[in-house]
Amino acid sequence: MDLFKKMAEAVIEGDEERTVSLAKEALSKGVNPTEAIEKGFAEGMKEIGRLFETLEIYLPQVIVSADAMTAGVEVFRQYLLGQEGELPKTTVLLGTIEGDVHDIGKNIVKIMLESNGFKVYDLGRDVPVFNFIEKVKELSPDIVGVSALMTTTMVYMPKLIEALKEEGLRGKVKVMVGGAPVLPKWAKEIGADGYGESAMEAVRVAKSLVGLQGEGKGD
Amino acid sequence: MRDQGKFFNFLEVIKRTESGERIKETDYDKELGKKTLALTKQYEIRYDPNLLIPTNDGMVDRIFQAAVDLFLDLGVYCTDTQRVIRFTQEELQWALENVPQEVQYGREKETVSVYPRKVEDRRDPACFFSAVGTPVTEEMFLSVAQSYAQEPLADTFSGPLIISYKGMPVTSGSPIEVEAAIWNTQMLREAAKQAGRPHIGIHNFQSTGEKTDATIASAQEKFGAFPGDGLLVAAIAEMKVDFERLKKVAFLRQSPYVLGALYGPLMGGYAGGPEGTAIALVAHHFLGLLVFSAERHNSFPIHIHHVCNTSRDMLWLISVVGQALARNSHLIFASNAFMASGPCTDMVIDELCAQSIASTVSGWHLNPAAVAKNRHPMRCSGMEPRIHAEVGHQVAKVGLTRKEANRIVLRLVEGYEKRIPEAPIGKMFDECYQLDKIRPTDEYESLLAMKKKEWKSLGFEVI
Repeated sequence: MDLFKKMAEAVIEGDEERTVSLAKEALSKGVNPTEAIEKGFAEGMKEIGRLFETLEIYLPQVIVSADAMTAGVEVFRQYLLGQEGELPKTTVLLGTIEGDVHDIGKNIVKIMLESNGFKVYDLGRDVPVFNFIEKVKELSPDIVGVSALMTTTMVYMPKLIEALKEEGLRGKVKVMVGGAPVLPKWAKEIGADGYGESAMEAVRVAKSLVGLQGEGKGD
Repeated sequence: MRDQGKFFNFLEVIKRTESGERIKETDYDKELGKKTLALTKQYEIRYDPNLLIPTNDGMVDRIFQAAVDLFLDLGVYCTDTQRVIRFTQEELQWALENVPQEVQYGREKETVSVYPRKVEDRRDPACFFSAVGTPVTEEMFLSVAQSYAQEPLADTFSGPLIISYKGMPVTSGSPIEVEAAIWNTQMLREAAKQAGRPHIGIHNFQSTGEKTDATIASAQEKFGAFPGDGLLVAAIAEMKVDFERLKKVAFLRQSPYVLGALYGPLMGGYAGGPEGTAIALVAHHFLGLLVFSAERHNSFPIHIHHVCNTSRDMLWLISVVGQALARNSHLIFASNAFMASGPCTDMVIDELCAQSIASTVSGWHLNPAAVAKNRHPMRCSGMEPRIHAEVGHQVAKVGLTRKEANRIVLRLVEGYEKRIPEAPIGKMFDECYQLDKIRPTDEYESLLAMKKKEWKSLGFEVI
């Protein structure tokens, strides 16, 4: 069987031992790590995402597959560190906004973004606007992703966008918003660059915002 | 007034938030998924998409036992201390044996007593009419709230919420949240008065203020919150609490207000599919009883993608959880109806009917209704809970069996399930109600009348 296909299957099965051994096999055969991840592991995770969208599988299986992929990717990362190289990464700063402790949606988005090659810095939940700002300054992410589950917390989203403007950072970072009370129209009104109705859509929008393949409701 | 001797020692709960095993939250989440999957297999629990209201008593009893195992084994996670609060089998058993078997809401002629229900119970379900915190404008809040309070079948009511107050956004943790919270309670009592029911119980007198300080600030008689009203404290799904919730409990235990617990596990989320989420939802009731000292319980399990509980899998889940609790405990628990579609649509009427039948026949009280996936501003009205409650009363009155309920619910679901992903959001309150009379429009009334005729042809007649 084709190596990339085996890698995808190992991710779908959530077989961490196998993703590690297949990553080592790819390296021993001189396969380019980026190509192996994209055509192997990521393809498996794409299928997992599809199965989750149609609820043929549930979140626990998604987590197991994501863990298996992470373990395999780590083999490539360690190899590249030894070669003083690095996997190309688009970075996303992710967090649930101030006052809000409901973060399951954000956690699923994180899994899906990581599985699609993004480097995610997860600030957790109940994250004050100024913590986002400090981290944007420190990490220079490509995208800031913010979630909210309540109407009293989603109002911090425009405050975050305003704060980014005040700090002269708005032009340097794309802003994505999401969460149950956040509607696409409102996302546009507050000046967000993108909105994701679901985790998989968030990935498509994120890709489109940074010029990778994918499309969605990014403006 | 609550009898503190019937609840687990709350100070001991607080101690355990500081002394329990410390584990990473992500590991706790993974453990939940593993355990529910293992318990689903061990107890042979199977979702059948063609049997939404099962009559298999053995299976629902096994779901209850699986929930006991899950609760004792997994414990409850406190996110502030990253520790697990665990209980012994004896402590859970003691709490279940001492469950308060009556809760009273309202005052004077509006006093209602709520008791535990049983499967296929011929007694009416209590109907807690609620706008479930749908965002509305400040100007429309009173009219919307009145549309709920005035409904004859409303045993209690609660309101929508406002997202701006006097032109300022209501922001969590800010002073405006406290101002808006006080206004919220005042307006709910005013709505009760305008509905001609000044003493009706408000089962959750605070929707706008989420933080504990805002909630407590609004809890005064001079603002309209009286003994016989109540508040709901929500667990953070799944099986988690934090100090913000526990502070509300600390206050409510010493207050004259009815303490209700609220649970909203996501089907498809950390607990897995319908079977695992059913186990987890039953276990949430143990959380409410032991950690929150809750006198009554309210559940809104929802589909992780469709944000409703009217799909096949959700109706099965609601039915088996209700039956498991009704057959194995004396808890007082209500089903919070979450509709995919919005007001004044034929779909919402069928969804309400299916959800109410599944809930009522399975032992739940009713807490209708969130509509339009509970996210579209101004899309809610007193008409949706009226429909839900009328159906529930009829189910009890005619003594609908689970078998017959299953037949009707299946027919209803077949009619709307394909539209769930892109469900119509329906009309806004001022489009489906006559504002001068606070009455549904003729269009909405006609739509309901037409649906009732259709239901009659299914062999289910709601007068």
